[in-house]
Amino acid sequence: MTAGHAEVDAIDSEFEFELDHIAVEQAARRRRITAGVRRFGAYATLTLFVAIAVGPAIYLISPAFRDSVSLFAYPPEWVPSDPTLENYRFLFRNTEYVRWGINTLIYASGVTVVSLVTNTLAAYAFDRLRFPGRRVLFFVILATLMIPVAAVLAPTYLTVRTIGGWPLIGNYVDLDTFGGLILPAAVSPLGVFMMRQFIETLPDGLYEAAKLDGASDWRIFRKIVLPLLKPALVVLGIFVFMITWSSYLWPLVVATGDDHRVLTVGIQSLNGQFVTNWGVIGAASLLTIVPVTIVFLFFQRWFVQASMAGALKQ
Amino acid sequence: MAEVILRQLTKQFGEITAVDKVSLKVADGEFLVLLGPSGCGKSTILRLISGLEDATSGEIVIGGELVNFTDPTERNVAMVFQNYALYPHMTVFKNVAFPLETAKLNRSAVKDAVERTAAILEISELLDRHPEQLSGGQRQRVALARAIVREPLVFLMDEPLSNLDAQLRLQTRLELMALHQRLGITTIYVTHDQVEAMTMGRRIAVMQSGRLQQVGAPVDVYQTPATTFVATFMGAPPMNLVAGDVQVENGGWQFATAGYTLEIDPSVMGIEASTLQESAGPATLGVRPEHFSLAPPAADGLPGVVQFLEPVGSDLFVAVGVADHLIQVRMPPDAAVSEGDNVRLTFDPAKSHIFGKNDRNLRAVFD
Repeated sequence: MTAGHAEVDAIDSEFEFELDHIAVEQAARRRRITAGVRRFGAYATLTLFVAIAVGPAIYLISPAFRDSVSLFAYPPEWVPSDPTLENYRFLFRNTEYVRWGINTLIYASGVTVVSLVTNTLAAYAFDRLRFPGRRVLFFVILATLMIPVAAVLAPTYLTVRTIGGWPLIGNYVDLDTFGGLILPAAVSPLGVFMMRQFIETLPDGLYEAAKLDGASDWRIFRKIVLPLLKPALVVLGIFVFMITWSSYLWPLVVATGDDHRVLTVGIQSLNGQFVTNWGVIGAASLLTIVPVTIVFLFFQRWFVQASMAGALKQ
Repeated sequence: MAEVILRQLTKQFGEITAVDKVSLKVADGEFLVLLGPSGCGKSTILRLISGLEDATSGEIVIGGELVNFTDPTERNVAMVFQNYALYPHMTVFKNVAFPLETAKLNRSAVKDAVERTAAILEISELLDRHPEQLSGGQRQRVALARAIVREPLVFLMDEPLSNLDAQLRLQTRLELMALHQRLGITTIYVTHDQVEAMTMGRRIAVMQSGRLQQVGAPVDVYQTPATTFVATFMGAPPMNLVAGDVQVENGGWQFATAGYTLEIDPSVMGIEASTLQESAGPATLGVRPEHFSLAPPAADGLPGVVQFLEPVGSDLFVAVGVADHLIQVRMPPDAAVSEGDNVRLTFDPAKSHIFGKNDRNLRAVFD
């Protein structure tokens, strides 16, 4: 025992208890071990979930750089021994991939722009304007969230086909047109609901001040509400863009010709009846993910900020 | 500039009556303070005048025009909100310019007006900043600038000083009064702070539970409160109230309470004999702390025992237990008094008040 220890013991005994140093050390060790086991458990669980979530996307990378013969080699090869760009060459030369890409960009951007305008306007009306049936109407819109997309597919198809028969508007909104692709997807109950939640967080004082400053509802929307909703618009915009970019069912039904076919439907059409070139499908899928990933990475900072802002306000 | 007239103004929110038949006339260029505790309906009156709320019944007249059905955008009233309500995404310049741009003034006229107003409120060097970069006092000035820039008929202020610290509040109070003197715009100012009301208002209107209790010059309201509510709401510490009875004894009127009887001389106390006749029965005597004096136990006055002393520097507040009341007496700081002393509280009946049924002051001025 060192002089220091003796001193501590002396103080301890003064308070009429003695520290059992061995017991203290044992308890500390037990705690370290338990914490270690817990942390290991947590990481193992998280790793499993990450593997499930991103595994398929990573698995896509390998076949996209291999020829179709080596794809079925045994034992399976994860990292291609002889990487090739042949699949991409095939994609660009022998398929309409570029056309599909442009179509998808027009479709996704169109839906994003139109839906931002309609959802925000609808949300503003539901939150700020007083009109008869406001609550009922909002409830009805929310209720449509519970109807599966597949259930309204046929009615929507018929509606678009009917509109296609009308003069003037029929030239723009019809089966196998961008108008027909975009319009039905342009208002989403979720978007209206989300924007309304954001608009609700703006203090009433702002509207009242603007009103007394002589501003009309439209001017308040344009000059006060819209600029303050920028972060929310970015979030909704990214959401809508990503969902539309990867949507499949509606484009499959409405855009049947090559002129308006989008990537998801196009890739599916690469499946042959008897032979499927998985390497080409892998390459096409990988290329398809790139733009959305870039969009997300570019706006990621805004995305997190906006979701936080919405959460923290009140 | 314009006069504002409220006639029997009432506002109900469901079952709750927030404003109850309020009639009030605010003269052209006047600075009127609406005073009352929170929830008394004073802010609702401002919102009714501005048009942010619709009246349930009654009339609002601004500048000779009935405005009940006029849109708030067209009433030409400006309001300064408690939390300023500045537009957070706009610079100070844009904030102040907003009402003018809304009115579609041309760019140079907007610029001139904003710069002129900024100079008055000494915010010229802040014009490029955003509200988040400003202190509370600066935000307050910007809010004022936005309100006065379009030269409104009426200026409504909803507790504009309540978010400022004590020292800044004092300074801004003086500046607001100077601004009013300079511009002469009819102003209705809402506050729950009686000191603010006393110092700022030419006239104050005291409210309770949606009803107007008393309107008058601050000194009059303080010295001659119409009700026990006004008596206790105005003044710190408030007017002392002692419960007792108004009764006739040997042909003369008296106010009697435990251990003390006050002979009422109607001419001295300004009360009509007929009023006394109607008010016989339970009543309340009211005397301000500064109108009491401490006298030896042998003197004629309310008997009591000194409970504790509160020296505040300029004054000495003495709390005296009288029956089951605790009476506050304001004394000079060097008064010779100590806790436990048996004393008599004397006062000048001319400066005391008797409140009868419905807690109303019996003085003839309120008949």
